[in-house]
Amino acid sequence: MTLLQTLTEKARQLAVRSPWIYRINAGSCNGCDVECATTALIPRYDVERLGCQYCGSPRHADIVLITGPLTTRVKEDVLRVFAEVPDPKVTVAVGVCPISGGIFRESYAVHAPVDQYLPVDINVPGCPPRPQAIIEGVAQAIALWRERI
Amino acid sequence: MLASNTPLAVLLFPGGLFALGLGLMLKGLDRRVAARLQGRVGPPLAQPFYDLVKLGRKRTMVPDIAAQPVFLGAPLIGAVTMLLAAALVPIPGVYAPNPMLGDLLVLLYLLAVPAVVLMIGGSASGSPFGAIGFSREMALMIAYEGPLVLVVAAVALRTGSFSLNDIVAYQKAHGSFLFDPVMWPALLAFLAFYPANLGIVPFDIPEAETEVLEGPLLEYSGPALGLFKVMSALKAVVVLGLGVALFFPLAPDGVAGLIVHAVKLVVMMLIGVTFLRVSMGRMRIDQAFSFFLKWPLALSIASLAIVALA
Repeated sequence: MTLLQTLTEKARQLAVRSPWIYRINAGSCNGCDVECATTALIPRYDVERLGCQYCGSPRHADIVLITGPLTTRVKEDVLRVFAEVPDPKVTVAVGVCPISGGIFRESYAVHAPVDQYLPVDINVPGCPPRPQAIIEGVAQAIALWRERI
Repeated sequence: MLASNTPLAVLLFPGGLFALGLGLMLKGLDRRVAARLQGRVGPPLAQPFYDLVKLGRKRTMVPDIAAQPVFLGAPLIGAVTMLLAAALVPIPGVYAPNPMLGDLLVLLYLLAVPAVVLMIGGSASGSPFGAIGFSREMALMIAYEGPLVLVVAAVALRTGSFSLNDIVAYQKAHGSFLFDPVMWPALLAFLAFYPANLGIVPFDIPEAETEVLEGPLLEYSGPALGLFKVMSALKAVVVLGLGVALFFPLAPDGVAGLIVHAVKLVVMMLIGVTFLRVSMGRMRIDQAFSFFLKWPLALSIASLAIVALA
């Protein structure tokens, strides 16, 4: 039993080093998405060194980055795609839009804040947030993910 | 020299755990070097291993419209097939597969299985992206299997045997085919074949991440996806090992032979996979198809003709 526990603990420590990231654009203006891409593509901010990898399928994801104020048009699709992400997962809201609606706050076509519909774990405010802030958010998400896996 | 047909050969040493470790190391090296070439720091060498452990701890989701037994059986069949294939590839100076296990022809058939399994899994998932991946994988497979078979036929004609042990022994006696101008067209055709078979960037059309979202792999998650990762790591060892055995198998005996073999695999991985994928964009399926039916096919037919005449 103790050997099994040790092995499980070891496997968990190794598993934490491989968080795969999936981006959901919930009606964002694309500003935050460009910053997210920056964290992956520019040598200075390489997130792959944390073991992260941007993946194309929600089913491969561990950490979900949500950008945008959740517009009426995409709401159902966003909820559906979010449900496709297998547990355990961590959700990060990137930019001020998913937190409060940002400059779209008063709009009739916007359902922000996103945490009414999805369990948001970490907020990264900014319009758009700096790449360093996004990486900080991902690092905190990894810390949280360690508890869940 | 180690020659055995015991389950040990399949599960532990040349196949099984050893091949898996080697394959994951090759993949990690590929990612690390690719990152360095792009000016990034890159992931640790053991990253594919961490990914595998992580996938083992996630949940496998099966889509409602998927054919469940086929959907879950496909990755299992693929991984097990590659496990068997890894025991068929000789490590010159260290391991010679028992002829009872199978020869080059069996290996050719086993090498076709990963692509077939991807097609079956992709279409069983019921996803439209899986269907696109299916048709692209099919076209690509038709394009690259021809040159492979002709290359293997040319080597077999030269050595007079379909047994990989005999091919290695022939080159030990007559010098490696790498320095034999008669075999150069076959070598070039093989150099074009293995990036396509390993499914990396200029030829990763069926799984194209940015256009069809990894195609057949789209719906897979958790341990089932992990089995596909195991399959592709083992396939790298098998295909590169086949290249070593066909063209430059000369190596010292014992542990030194093992090290030389690993170095050869790393060199083939860096040249044919890493450098190629960081320096090229993805081809369209029609471009890849016409490329393979032009140059590698012509080269392999030419090599067969030259060998027959020589």
